[in-house]
Parts: sequence; C-alpha cells; structure tokens
Amino acid sequence: MKKGFWSNSRVAVLGGGSFGTVLANLAARNCSEVTLYVRAEDQARAMNSTRMNPNYVKDLVLDSKIRAVSSFEKAFERGLDLVIFALPSHATRAQAKVVAPFFKGHEIVLHATKGIEEQSLKRISQVLEEEIPILRIGAISGPNLAGEIAKSEPAATVVASKFDDVLEAGEEIFTTERFRVYTTHDLVGVEWGGTLKNIFAIASGILESKGLGWNTKSLLLSRGLAEMVRFGVAMGATPETFLGLSGMGDLIATCSSSQSRNFRVGYHLAKGETLQDVIAELGQVAEGVRTTKIVYEFARSRGVEMPITESVYRILEGEWTAEQGVSHLMTRPQVEDRWV
Amino acid sequence: MIIDPRTGSNPAVRFEHHPAVRGEIYRLDDRDYRESIIEEVVRRTMGDLSRGDPRMLIEETLYQERIRIRKARTSWFSSPNLASRNARDRKFIGEIQGRLKGTVGLEDNRDLLRRFTEHFAVEICGNFEPKMYDFAIRMVPWFFSWLLNAASVKRFSPFGMSESLQSRLRVVGQVEHLQRLSKKGTILLVPTHLSNIDSVLIGYVIHLMSLPPFAYGAGLNLFSNPLLSFSMSRLGAYTVDRQKSSQVYKNALKNYSTSILKRGIHSIFFPAGGRVRSGAIESHLKLGLLGTALQAQLERYQEGHPNPNIYVVPMVMNYPFVFEASSLIEDYLESAGKHRFMPNDGGEAVPFFKIMNFFWKLFSTRSEMWIRVGRPLDVFGNFVDENGISLGPNGTQIDPKRYFMTKGEVMAVPQRDREYTALLGKKISERYHAENVVLSSHLVAYSLFEALKKSYPGLDLFRFLRLSRAQRMVPAARFFEEAERSFKLVKDASDQGRLHLSNPLHCGDVKIWVEDGVRQLGLFHDAKVVKLEDGAFATDDMNLLYYYRNRLTGYGFGSDFAGDTDEKGFLV
Repeated sequence: MKKGFWSNSRVAVLGGGSFGTVLANLAARNCSEVTLYVRAEDQARAMNSTRMNPNYVKDLVLDSKIRAVSSFEKAFERGLDLVIFALPSHATRAQAKVVAPFFKGHEIVLHATKGIEEQSLKRISQVLEEEIPILRIGAISGPNLAGEIAKSEPAATVVASKFDDVLEAGEEIFTTERFRVYTTHDLVGVEWGGTLKNIFAIASGILESKGLGWNTKSLLLSRGLAEMVRFGVAMGATPETFLGLSGMGDLIATCSSSQSRNFRVGYHLAKGETLQDVIAELGQVAEGVRTTKIVYEFARSRGVEMPITESVYRILEGEWTAEQGVSHLMTRPQVEDRWV
Repeated sequence: MIIDPRTGSNPAVRFEHHPAVRGEIYRLDDRDYRESIIEEVVRRTMGDLSRGDPRMLIEETLYQERIRIRKARTSWFSSPNLASRNARDRKFIGEIQGRLKGTVGLEDNRDLLRRFTEHFAVEICGNFEPKMYDFAIRMVPWFFSWLLNAASVKRFSPFGMSESLQSRLRVVGQVEHLQRLSKKGTILLVPTHLSNIDSVLIGYVIHLMSLPPFAYGAGLNLFSNPLLSFSMSRLGAYTVDRQKSSQVYKNALKNYSTSILKRGIHSIFFPAGGRVRSGAIESHLKLGLLGTALQAQLERYQEGHPNPNIYVVPMVMNYPFVFEASSLIEDYLESAGKHRFMPNDGGEAVPFFKIMNFFWKLFSTRSEMWIRVGRPLDVFGNFVDENGISLGPNGTQIDPKRYFMTKGEVMAVPQRDREYTALLGKKISERYHAENVVLSSHLVAYSLFEALKKSYPGLDLFRFLRLSRAQRMVPAARFFEEAERSFKLVKDASDQGRLHLSNPLHCGDVKIWVEDGVRQLGLFHDAKVVKLEDGAFATDDMNLLYYYRNRLTGYGFGSDFAGDTDEKGFLV
C-alpha cells in the first residue's frame, strides 16, 4: 500500500456550480491536482485567468492546483483517481452517458447532488451505476452552504457508500482543519435525506412568509424529520442516518437559510404568487418543486403518511392557499410524537 | 397444437454422441495434483483462521459436528452411504476430543485445528476419472434415447421414427458464446436450482455443449444413492455438506472452490445454496461461494496468469413440472410463517425410481425441459463480449483488473470484495429473471391463482391457501379474462427483454396455450393443479398452484416492489 496515495492523487469535479467550486477548493488542499469541469469554454478560461468563479461563489479565490476545463477529454487526459459529480439531478444521467467512456474502472466516484431522478425515482448513485463502468460510488451530503465553506467557517459533511474505499477517499480528500468528514454505509439514507429536506425548505419559506415564529418552525422541522424517516425507511434506509448531518443537519441548514431556492419558492408562493411566476422570477426550477410531487405521489401509493408533504404539494399545485395548508396540518387527528 | 421441435434449440448443440473434450479437470485424476489442492486448501484455511483462537475454533467446530451427527442419526439411517460417512466423522471427532483433553499448548491446538481442516478438505475434494467420464457420456445418451423411445415411440411417431432428445431437452441462449469463452478463461456456471433433476441434467448438457467436464459442488443428498455417489465422486463433483455450519468447514469449502477456479478448472455451483422452495426465480443468493470467483481472478492477476478471467454464466432451468414440488412448497410455507428461508438439502435422499418416473412422464407426454444459457458476466457483473472482454454499461470495453485497484495497486480488500460480490449476486438474480423462459404451465397457474385472489381480496396468504374446494373455482369466462391479462403482462415483459416465452406462448392464442398449460400441469402430480370442470377452472391443490404461479413473481407484475412478499404474505 502506498503511503500518502491520496496526497499524490488527481481529482476531477464535474460541475462548476457553487458547491462544485467549493469542493474543488477543499480537494486541492489534499491532492496533487484538481480539474474542474464546466460546460462553457469562456467560463473555464475566465476561471483560469481570474482564479475566481464570481457567478457562483463570491470572493472565493481558487486554489492554484485547480485547473478549469470545458471538455471531458481534458479532464481525464492524465488519468484520475477520484471523480466528483456536482451536477443538478436532471442533468446527471445525460452527462454520465457522455463521460462514461472516459472511465477506466479504478476511479472512485462521489456525487454531491441532492435530488433524485424524476419518473424512475432512482437515487443519483443508482443512475451513475447504470451509466458508468464504476461500482465504487458514494455520495457527499450535509449542511454545506457553499458561501460559508468558502469563508472557511467550521463545517462538516457526510460521505456515504457501501465501499470503505470510497469513504476513505472522501475523508482523505475533503478533511481540512475547518472542514470535517463523517462517514456511513447507509447510502440510501444519505441520498434520500438530501432529497427530502428540500420539501421542508419550501414549507419553511411559507412559514417565514407568514411571519410565523420559532415554535412553528421547530414544529415543522421535527415533524418534517419524522416524515423523512418514515419515507426513508420505506426506501430501505436506516432511521439513525436521519439524525445525522445529512438528515437533521441538512434540514436545519436548508430550512433556516433564506438564500435557498426552495425556501424562496415557498416564501413567494405564500405571498399569493403562482408557481409559474415564482419559477420565472428565480430563473430556474428549484429541486424541491419536482421532489415534492414525486415523493407525494409515491408516498400515497405506498401508504406512507406524509401530511406536511401533502400540504406543500397542494400549495404548489395551487389547490390550497398557505393558510389552508397550515390548518390542514393543525386539525389532523391526534397521534403519538413518534416516527413510525 | 404444432410445435416445431427445432426452433429454439441452438444449432451448436449436437445431440449425437461425440468425444469428450479434455480440460484442466483431467488433472484431478493425478493423486499428487489432488494432494496439492488439499494442501493449498489447508494452508489457506489456516491462514484465514489465524486470527481466531484455535482452541475456541476447535471447540466450536466439535460442538456443531456433534449436533449435526446427532440429527443425522435419526434422519439418514436409510442410506448406508451417508451412514458410513457419519460413522467416519464420529470416529474422527472422538479422536480429536480425546486429544483435546491432553493438550494445553498453542502449537498443539493449531495442530488439532489443522487436522480438522484437513479432514474437511479431504471430504470436499473431488476426483475425476477420464475412463469413468467416457463411460458416462456413452451411457447417458443411450439411456435417454432408450427411455425416450420406450416411453413415446408408439404414441407419437406413427411412422416408426425414433424421437430425438433434441425435441425434449431445449438448450437455448448463449451456447456458442459460452463455448468460446471456455477457451479464453475459466467458467463458473451458476444455474438456478429447482429440482434434484438439475444435477443430473446439467452434467449431461455440459457435455452436449462440447465443453470439457466441470467441477461440480454437489449437495450431500446426491451422494446418498450409491450409484450416483460412485459416479459423481469420480466425475469431478466435490462434496458440499450444507449441514456443516462451522467456520472451519465453510472456509475450507470456499478455499477449495477458489483453488480449483484459480487452477482453471471450470466449475458449477448453485448460488442459491439449495433448491428454491417457493418455486420463484432465486432473488437471494448465497455470497460465500460466489465470492471465490472474484478471489481466484484477483490471485491470477497477482500471479501474472496469462488468462486471468473467470466468466460467470447464469443458467436458468425450467420444467413443466417439478417432481418435488409438493415437499418444496410445504417447506417454503412452513418457513415463510417464521419469515425465514432455510435451504436445507441434506435430509432428503434422491430416490432413483422417482427420477425415472419423472423422465418417463416427461418423455411419454411431449413435455419439454428448457435450459437457457444466459449472457456471460465478468466477476463484477459486467457483460462480457464474444472475445471475453468486459463491457461497461454503455458498451465500451473495460479492463476488470482496474476494479481490483485500491490506491493504485491490484490487491485484496476484503470489505470491497464483499460488496463487489453482493453486487454480482444482485446482477445474477436480475439475469435469472431476464433469462427465464416462461412456460404455458407457469402462466396458467399464475392466471388461475390471480383470478382466485381477486375473488377473495381480503384474505392473507395462509387463509387463502386454505380455501375450501367449492371456493377454489373460477368461471371459465372470468379465467380467460385473467389469462389474457396475464399474457399481456408477460408479452410486454418479453418485448422489453425482461423474460422469454416458450413456444406455445409465442403463438399468443389464449385457447392454445391454456390448453397446453393445463395439460402439462396435469401430467405429473396426482392432484390436478389446474382443471376445467363444468365450465369452471379449479384446482385440487392450492399449494402446488402457488408453487407454479410463483415462477412469475419478481417481475413487478403484482406490485412496484418485486421480489419479496406483500403485506398479506403473497410473493410478488
């Protein structure tokens, strides 16, 4: 076994959004070379010359080991040890198909996508497994608001995979004195945690918009977590995972940050705007809008009780007003304060 | 009904006698070679166990052996073969126990553990005698054609032509691919396991495919019959005793498999561990032995072997009727009540006359056995092309050696390799479903079962199976409605490449395949599994109906979540 293998390794991050850029910067601290793949050639060129990615993360200076490229050939030309997918969920499969021929088989793959594939309800790791010739796949997830990590505020994440090889790679590559990496084998729980919390981020925006206080928000978080556990367990996850960074942790961060797109969708909806207007205003669809619909329909067909999700779904669909959604939840039959 | 006996059978399979193909397994005939394997198995096993306390391991093994032998005394008295095996084991255990009292030192204990391992390794190790093999491959076709013609010539060949086995034993699928790969690497054939018939047939089918003989992990029950035992142990079969559950035994068995695969001896074992009780396609495989393929390939890389690849080839067996169906489904229901699946093949001997009866029924009634050779996989579950090169999900060629690299080097990483093997197991089960050939009998049983189930929506499995005779009827019109619906399900699945259809189903005429299916199901069992009486379809035996119906579970026909039981206990 080579000592210091990872410090001499080559890493690629596919996707130059805010989180991808931050991950590239973290990785650069612990490996020999990072390639950051972005789609547009001029963005790559600008990043290489200005050492900044101002559209996504303000004030972050790119590490000198980072090289931005706009083709997969270039990203893979010298061989890679770790490949990180940091793409939106709806783009992952198409990009994976294109990049698949470049893989050799020894690479470790992580993805940082918080979402699932529409229609198929497949987790991103499953999508990747179907498209690329790699089995050692994992996810990285947690309360990781890119802006705060860029400012080196203390933070932590979870790396999840069935394979210890992947967990070790994640620990070695991302750990810094301001960033901790926790690990778990419960990939299912971590991927669903990162996906489901977006529903409650929308709900949180709705509460904020209505000027509601901390009691209500905490109620949302606790009972939202219960829904996450219920759904996750139905999908094969371990309940404890949802108490960790990728569950509870991410839920709190996303629901408390007024910057998240999902939060803003909820906020504007509760002001009486239509979903179409809100989406037009945001410029892109928030991950949580899609997630809510898929999860609601699936939970209903499987008999998993998710009342908050139902309310969010009906508000998104324009069937209910925010008030109706809240009163639906407050007038449900009394139950025990449990998850199951 | 018209069935063309030639369609579906692969032309690469020749059914006349042809000479044996030599292979690595011929070296097992050499005593020194066998001893070198035993020596390797012992060395590996002692290595695996080196971290444990030898004294504890011995005591644990002794304890489990004592329990096993006590149970065996009551259940195996009928087979002198197994009885003498057990007498030998008892004597050995007595000896070890005697020695154990006197020993205190660590080295003494290690020595005892080594003797235990050796005892198991010798028991497991198979032999191969070319003369015996030549004799068998001459005798078996002769025997089959004699039986075939004796059973059927009068009824079906009015012009005095003798029938060929070809029309009854359909070997289809990737036969040529398998033949080619057997010259490029080592084959691990992993068939589904329905019946004790499988073992007899597979050995013969391998010869028909012009492949060299395979080493074969045979359950101890096959050794209960003196004739079978005599021939099997000389035809490369190694002994798998599923009653032996100690860590020492399990390790020795795995190491035997690794050792022979590594030496390039093509092998077979049933990855489900035993015959499938429910009648369904196996969805939970035992990963212990399966992992030996990966291990062998890894070691071949490390030793710079010129043809390091091991190819894993799934194979699916289907018969219109299974002679042990009644006892299998009873076993299943008993254990399903406890939410456990207990593959436990040791107790049941293989009665020779039952096998004869099976073939007699099969040959005298125009029934077909289907054996489908699946697409070959590498040890990671990737498809392999004609030249033995692994293909990624997108069809590009990849080098499986890279999968063994951790931190830049090819090496064993037990946790990684266990997960790889779990994924391989999942893939094999997926392929089993895709390579399955649906027979008319399966679909008839499925249709009747589902039609009945819809008539009693509130019942759980166990109450449902206890429906009274009068309740087990479905009016013909209602049955045919369900049959059409079921047919559409399998037809769509077949169009999507999720399964295959047998001949009567290809025609798509519901009258024809229902008639064929009812007839096939009625051939073997005393109870009518499906019968048409007074304008209604009915069953005499709910358990058997469930058994045959289960072959179509695991496809998501009844629910989004295939492969396990639903909330009422039905396999879905």
